[in-house]
Amino acid sequence: MELGSIEVFFILLGGSTIIGIVAVRGGGGGGVVFTPLMMGFTSIDSFIIRATGLLVAMAGSLVSARPFLMRGLANMRLLLMAAVPYSIFGVIGALLAGYVKETAGDTGEAIIRLTLGILVIGIAALILFGGKRLEYPEVRNVDGITERLALATSYYEQSLDKVVSYRVARAPVGILLLCFVGLVSGLFGLGAGWAMVPVFNLVMLAPLKVAAASSKVLIGIGDTAAIWPYVMDGGIFVLFAVPCVIGLVIGTIIGTKIMLRVKAGFVRWLIIAIMFGSGVKLVVDGIDRLS
Amino acid sequence: MDTQEAPKPPVAGVIYGKICYWIVMLGILVAVVGMIMYFASDGHMDKAQFLDLLWDGEEAEVIWETATIDGEVPEGHWYLRALSHGDVIAMLGIAIICFAAVIGMWGALVGTVRSGERMYALFALIVACILTASAVGVLKIH
Repeated sequence: MELGSIEVFFILLGGSTIIGIVAVRGGGGGGVVFTPLMMGFTSIDSFIIRATGLLVAMAGSLVSARPFLMRGLANMRLLLMAAVPYSIFGVIGALLAGYVKETAGDTGEAIIRLTLGILVIGIAALILFGGKRLEYPEVRNVDGITERLALATSYYEQSLDKVVSYRVARAPVGILLLCFVGLVSGLFGLGAGWAMVPVFNLVMLAPLKVAAASSKVLIGIGDTAAIWPYVMDGGIFVLFAVPCVIGLVIGTIIGTKIMLRVKAGFVRWLIIAIMFGSGVKLVVDGIDRLS
Repeated sequence: MDTQEAPKPPVAGVIYGKICYWIVMLGILVAVVGMIMYFASDGHMDKAQFLDLLWDGEEAEVIWETATIDGEVPEGHWYLRALSHGDVIAMLGIAIICFAAVIGMWGALVGTVRSGERMYALFALIVACILTASAVGVLKIH
């Protein structure tokens, strides 16, 4: 049975809404769920999927920015500090992706995907076995540079019905890692919430919800730098992209409202599941391409 | 240390969040209007032919060359030249969405300057310049 354009529109709309709800609760932008699903289960050209994946991740992040920033859940200073290395290295990574594709072909892409998959599974394992302190990490020492950046602030935690004050540590290490995350994100044309959350939470010791909300907002900034060349090169097709974007935005609005109410522990488990799933998918992809 | 007094969010964050939200909403509205027009009549791209080519895994260039009226592969802000079709209006909506963070970051810059955060104003300026360069086509990824 062949589906008409209107039926296709509504199927994509429904599927993207579900992806949006899941992604925002995991601190991701939707692209990391959307892109592997589409690449794994459809025959659509990967350039079109990557372009649309970036678009849906970006749109979902831009919509969720308002509630996260207005409630103070996303740390604006942390975002601006992180956006500089993430954006610059995201563009460098995307340029590198073009170079690798031209010089190393399918083998180069397979090795990169395999390496990334192993890395993502490693980070997920680190969160899983890292202990419960990660929801509200204890900051004992703050270095001079982080102190001067004045990243400490507070937010109202709805699930606890109180204001939580927190400090952030190790900003220089975080900046270095964000350079790497930006580079990786640009290489694959994916949002990088799954990598940014651990950087903010495990390395810089921001509370898990702050890390998830900040990463979600940061995806919108970084992906904007990467999406324009796809738009200008004809990678976006409205009949495919519009229902996906609208679905992701609807899903993000629903997911954001839920995220503000649920306890941080649930978000932690969701992030672990998303990271393991993405990592396994990337490893399988890499092995397939190598063989 | 925990307190019960609700903290006030930073101005730059509020400006960025509001600008992004409303521009995305405007973009979605334009895209939806464009899609309704596209479903009601013929567009710049043939719907049935596009879906066939898409499910067949054809490359973007092939789809543009085969399924559009003029058979041209788009370049730059191509949608501004063919706004008489519903699908191109929908593409304009997507472009508006893509502009949200560009404008939002310039707004955040104003917010950081107003609140006297010099270092963060510099960060916002750098990011705003990167996003603008990408939006005007200076940064070529492919």
